[in-house]
Amino acid sequence: MIYLDYSATTPVEEQVLESYVKACKNFIGNPNSLHRLGVEANTLIEDATKQVASLLKVKPSEVIYTSGSSESNNTAIKGIAFKYQNRGKHIIATELEHSSVIAPLQYLTNLGFEVDFVKLNAIGEIDLEHLKSLLREDTILVTMASVSSEIGILQPIEEVGKLLKSYPKCLFHVDMTQSIGKVNISLENIDLISLSAHKFYGMKGIGVLIKKEGISFDPLIHGGKSTTVYRSGTPALPLIVSLSKALRLSLENLEEKQEEVKRLNFYLREELNKIEGIHINSSNCAIPHILNFSVPGIRPETLQHALEEKNIFISTQTACSKGGSPSTAVMAVTHNEDYAVSSLRVSISHKTTKHELSLFVETLKEVLERLKFTHERIEKNSRS
Amino acid sequence: MKVIEISAIWCSSCLIMKKVWKNAKQNFENLEWIEYDLDFDSEVKSYQVGATLPVLIFEKEGMETSRLVGEKTMEEVFKWLEENISA
Repeated sequence: MIYLDYSATTPVEEQVLESYVKACKNFIGNPNSLHRLGVEANTLIEDATKQVASLLKVKPSEVIYTSGSSESNNTAIKGIAFKYQNRGKHIIATELEHSSVIAPLQYLTNLGFEVDFVKLNAIGEIDLEHLKSLLREDTILVTMASVSSEIGILQPIEEVGKLLKSYPKCLFHVDMTQSIGKVNISLENIDLISLSAHKFYGMKGIGVLIKKEGISFDPLIHGGKSTTVYRSGTPALPLIVSLSKALRLSLENLEEKQEEVKRLNFYLREELNKIEGIHINSSNCAIPHILNFSVPGIRPETLQHALEEKNIFISTQTACSKGGSPSTAVMAVTHNEDYAVSSLRVSISHKTTKHELSLFVETLKEVLERLKFTHERIEKNSRS
Repeated sequence: MKVIEISAIWCSSCLIMKKVWKNAKQNFENLEWIEYDLDFDSEVKSYQVGATLPVLIFEKEGMETSRLVGEKTMEEVFKWLEENISA
């Protein structure tokens, strides 16, 4: 099997799974219980939280555990909107956001909030001048992904953070789901950060929302104090412990891993560029882990399934958008509908090998030849 | 005369078009606007919506006369509405 869909999800690291199993077996108490088993469980969570905070260079009190990035995004966006609606009802985002950002924004517009989108430049980065022009007295939130999940564009988050310092009434939320464990981004000047463990070799069902000190929001889930008052529910101790382990492992030797992925990306780009009819949509400002390309004239699902028959797994758009629909992200960057309806995403990891990519490229060539031959025959038959 | 508006809560193009539609609703007050969500409203099944969202469908006397698919400018939506009203 050749797995090239690491941006959809990653396989769980063995050590992460072990820490999960150990915590399940050895810490059976509810961390909120006052007896010894509860206290032991709570101490373990506090230790894990200290490690998460230390790795992300934030305070332990700023860590809120959620079920994943979708919940983190929903909590941040709706929570801030409801809390600060007396200041204003204007929110700014980009067209490249994940559906778990777009959906709460749409929900809020039904409640009277107004959403504006920042323009993107030719390579897909946000236009900072346009962002400045959109900021208003009543803007309460700017929300954007540090890396777009579909095409991998890395946004100038640090510059946006610095810009927003001049707008103290406007908070800055960054969806870092696709960047944690892949690229280094300073969390300074960001008020809220979403992340999900399964994107960095952790378990599914656990994520984090970082909420910087001094900021408050209305929780989505009420029910009293858990690890924080901002997200109620019995703390998922084994998942929290496993997230802490996954985060530590993913940040280890990050630069070396990045270099390896860069080399793999360079090789893949070169090879794909040699294939006639392929257009690469990910610009040079995309992270090397994500390479989005289009094959105009061929349905991406057809290509995806043809590769799947050869045990190669890539993605059409993100795992959370409607199948068969044109890619908003590719459209926003390329302004080309043919590319938008025929885009595919290969997402690689430091675990990917050059041999795997070579096999992928060879198989892709074979599959494309076959599909083109089939198309030509259909056209010929329809003409005769 | 009716305009059927089909969108989805996760669709960024739909969110972008909301502002345009809001404006259109204010300018074409005589039209009846019906909003459907692709995932939540069963009525959508009868409209054979393709892969691209959002979709605006113009109906006269219960019959579809035209549809507008995807992101459009304010001018394009207004022109489409005017043409359908006068057709």
